[in-house]
Amino acid sequence: MKSMAIVVRDDAYDKILTPLAFAYLQAAEGTQVDMLFVNWAVKALTEKGAHALKVDGQHAGQDAWVRQQVAKAGLPPDVYDIIKALKSTGHVHLYACSLASAIFGVDKDNLIPEAEDIVGASWFLNEKASKAEHYQYF
Amino acid sequence: MTRIKSDQTLDTSGKCCPMPMVETNQAIKGMKAGEVLEIIATDPATKMDIPSWCQRTGNTLIEHHEDGGTLRYYVCKRD
Repeated sequence: MKSMAIVVRDDAYDKILTPLAFAYLQAAEGTQVDMLFVNWAVKALTEKGAHALKVDGQHAGQDAWVRQQVAKAGLPPDVYDIIKALKSTGHVHLYACSLASAIFGVDKDNLIPEAEDIVGASWFLNEKASKAEHYQYF
Repeated sequence: MTRIKSDQTLDTSGKCCPMPMVETNQAIKGMKAGEVLEIIATDPATKMDIPSWCQRTGNTLIEHHEDGGTLRYYVCKRD
């Protein structure tokens, strides 16, 4: 696979792990991975927001246990550290949705340096998603 | 059981997907063509992941075996 595009919507700690793990797997193999963070998930592209992600819903009480299991699996338990690991592959590009950024308070000042930019969904869908060999939505 | 001489060993024991495959990719990148990477794993998912990865990347799975939950794979880096 040469390229993969992923749209990430869910910002719960446990729910964001899967798209990050998939991106890490493919990027390690040399696949270009473009990720657009929309809705609440855009906050994961701020340092404060990435550190603050928690397991929610019916599994909220198991946050500490999930982090222990993630560390045991070999991944860094902190989302920001996972993002840094993804970037270290040299094949992952992270984008913040402009609408989500406006709604949820992400701007150029708090966007993490690992993120490429704040972009419109139209640009991402046409330039990245439609041209990718594989497309996923979480 | 065949004794294969490996040039490098990667021990992923205890780790689960995605790490065994991420680390396998990282390890093979630093090796020369024809060298053999020994991968030690305990994640049963590697039984499908590693042969599939070899087929996709052109690296050769020379041998693999399991002993008491420990899996060993010997992969020759492609030319």
